[in-house]
Amino acid sequence: MTDKPVLTLRDLSIEFPTTKGIVQAVKHLNLTIEKGRRVGFIGESGSGKTTTALAVMQMLAEPGRVASGTIDLAGVDVLALSEEEMRLTRLSRIAYIPQGAMNSLNPVMRIEPQLWDGIIAHEGTLDRAELKRRSDEALASVGLPTHTAQLYPHELSGGMKQRVCIALGIILNPDLIIADEPTSALDVVTQRQVMQTLKDIQAKIGSGLILIGHDMGLMAQSVDELAVLKDGELVEHGTVQQIIENPQHPYTQDLISSVPLVGGDSFLNPERNADAPRRDSSEPLLRFENVRKDYGDVTALHPLSFTLEGDTPQIISIVGQSGSGKSTMGSIMLGFNPPSQGRVLYEGRDIYGMTAAQSLEFRKNVQAVFQDPYACFNPFYRVNHALKFPFKQFGLAKSDAHTQQAMEEACAAVGLDPDLVLSRYPHQLSGGQRQRLIVARALMLSPKLLIADEPVSMVDASLRATILSNIYDLKDKYGISILYITHDLATAYHVSDYVMVLYKGHVVEAGPPKEVIGAPQHPYTQLLIDSIPWPDLNRSWGQGGSGWDPAAQEAAAAQTRTVLRGDISGFALTQG
Amino acid sequence: MTSQDNVPMTRAEKQQAKRLKRFDNPWMNPKLLWGLGLLLAIVALGLLGRIFWDPDLVFTGSAPLKLPPVGFENLRRQEGIWDYPLGTDGGGRDMLAMIIVGAPNTLFVGLLASLIGMSIGIFLGFSAGFLGGRIDDTIRVLADVMITIPPLLILVVFQSAFGDVTLTMMALLIAGFVWQSPTRLIRAQVLSMKQSGYVQMAQLSGASTGHIMFREMLPNLVPYLFGSFIASVTTSIVTAVGLEVLGLGPQRIPTLGRTIYEAINAGALIQNLWWWWGIPTLLLAVIFIGLLLINLGLDEVSNPRLRKLS
Repeated sequence: MTDKPVLTLRDLSIEFPTTKGIVQAVKHLNLTIEKGRRVGFIGESGSGKTTTALAVMQMLAEPGRVASGTIDLAGVDVLALSEEEMRLTRLSRIAYIPQGAMNSLNPVMRIEPQLWDGIIAHEGTLDRAELKRRSDEALASVGLPTHTAQLYPHELSGGMKQRVCIALGIILNPDLIIADEPTSALDVVTQRQVMQTLKDIQAKIGSGLILIGHDMGLMAQSVDELAVLKDGELVEHGTVQQIIENPQHPYTQDLISSVPLVGGDSFLNPERNADAPRRDSSEPLLRFENVRKDYGDVTALHPLSFTLEGDTPQIISIVGQSGSGKSTMGSIMLGFNPPSQGRVLYEGRDIYGMTAAQSLEFRKNVQAVFQDPYACFNPFYRVNHALKFPFKQFGLAKSDAHTQQAMEEACAAVGLDPDLVLSRYPHQLSGGQRQRLIVARALMLSPKLLIADEPVSMVDASLRATILSNIYDLKDKYGISILYITHDLATAYHVSDYVMVLYKGHVVEAGPPKEVIGAPQHPYTQLLIDSIPWPDLNRSWGQGGSGWDPAAQEAAAAQTRTVLRGDISGFALTQG
Repeated sequence: MTSQDNVPMTRAEKQQAKRLKRFDNPWMNPKLLWGLGLLLAIVALGLLGRIFWDPDLVFTGSAPLKLPPVGFENLRRQEGIWDYPLGTDGGGRDMLAMIIVGAPNTLFVGLLASLIGMSIGIFLGFSAGFLGGRIDDTIRVLADVMITIPPLLILVVFQSAFGDVTLTMMALLIAGFVWQSPTRLIRAQVLSMKQSGYVQMAQLSGASTGHIMFREMLPNLVPYLFGSFIASVTTSIVTAVGLEVLGLGPQRIPTLGRTIYEAINAGALIQNLWWWWGIPTLLLAVIFIGLLLINLGLDEVSNPRLRKLS
């Protein structure tokens, strides 16, 4: 290759002085990015991916500093540039698309002037017609219609906003684009569209691309080279082919094996099947009777009836994109959100019309694991408060020693060291540890039904499988029935006994996972499955790229009636 | 994780380490400590003064008229004497005794008024945020309407109707005008906290409304409450002093504001009796600076981003 590399990092170390001494965020990193290559930075949160990218932009947050090494941007020593020279370099030579970029658009400005800002800052005031020509060109290059320029950010969908941000990044044809988890807040279908746009535009302007992420599947579908970072060190670097097919470092192997696949080996090891807890009532555990939910004029959930007997422990999965009404269903079941029509019956009693004593009984037996493990702990208390309080509240505690023992057993069951964890404050624990504690809490209370609302979507990829198998154990070893709400079809495939696919408040396909996810019949289910990024180079997004038309598939989905596949005993669904 | 463990530190690094240590314990905040020190000095002045000085000197005619502080001369060429170290006013009252009795009185009115105001605010704010619906509407409209009414206007009418009032009475009246902003603040916080994961968790745990309000939410509001409390103390004192300077405060109890009112009334400015109005003004300034420093300090305690590393 005759061209010089776009970016050369030589022996780069970045450190943050703190009270507890100097923390080295990045250690002696050596990396070269050739022109036109796409390089993925993969690793857990805190592994130094974003820090490295920010150092290249000279945008490290105080008090971080580059301790040693050089950053060479196509022949320019970035670290030697003055503030003004750096300002001119940003955007024109390196573009940075930050995490959650779609929320960084100015809500009170139309899209067009926001695109012009970058041009004017670098090239001075230009003719209005020229500005317009260039902004239209940029929007067209990311596949947005010209009239988008006249809209305000709130009038665009998440995927469109993300494309506007890409247009902002490439408007000056930079040498290097850094995209920091550009699709983290988007659902799978939009994710695939946005990544396609990013790849196309990068190929067109021929710049280098750094893609930061933690999803091995997405990386496999998007980049040429992969750099695996762990605790600030580059543990492995090579082409995607090398790394996926023959990972050397145990951490890389972990990352690859932690991605659950539809089909393939299960990450779960079902040992024994516990019986469901003995029930006094002969009524079904949970029953939806024609439940509908409206928010204003929008119907989030169309009338739906199902019965969960609960005599044998089962995992029922509810899958769908954001906005499909799946979380609404969860909150209705928990008694947080009264339905607009219909009744929710727990053991034959309407949960929205219970006496105080019945309500306490219901709470004791229906527990939840929420999406955000960071918000679930009161920052004022040590984490054991969240476990101790309900245990006492439900009259399960015989003595303080008994409570302590129960907490320690529950922690041990989810693989946490009770001495290390229980007396800490929430902010001292990682997201994964907190989520496991919430699972431990559910275990301690041994409810009859657990509602798990996206329990692993905010946890580092390498921990997802562990937490899911913790949850699976609840059913397997402790006989708890579980309603698993998720957007991730691959995990639903493995854990569930029955799957319902929700689309715009309707159940579009339902049945055992091997049938619904393994061989989908409804166009919407097919669309979801096509959009999953596989960590497998042979099963590429790209191959179906030309024929892949999500709009057409969605249109077909709206036309097609619900497909009900096989039944299982103990659960009955009737579309109302 | 740490590097250069055995390398001797330079002076700059030592200083940095010291600052970092201070960063570690947020309550050792210099602004907070200075502010508290100033307010405690006022309280100490009141307590110790009553022991070591004669508070009866606040009565009219208990001392010679218009004596200057020690080391100064008044227009009649009288020297200040040690019997009345800060001078006396036009009514023959000792200035030192006046501030010993008056300064704590002023602080007392401010603290009592905002304590009552905050209690009302916490109660109403929680009710509005937590119960919602019509109760929320009523409280919100009430608070918003009350905010638009200038308090001094109403208080002037009230005080002149009542004639002489006690300190407690005045504190109660002022409290009627400092509950609105804590109500709004707490309502907003409660509304956002109600959606938070840990409140949902507590609901799942079968917690009662009382438990959720006072055991789960209130502890997390403490920094806001502190900040809001200090701010309303400042407002209360400003309002109280404003009324007193207009001559509408308690008539027989010495306060800093009343002293300034009498000084203005007796033409102390023209007669160059600067100590008469100057000393109470200085003390008021000390109180306000103390409160301001506490507020800034608390801000830094509850918001680590404001704390500086260097």
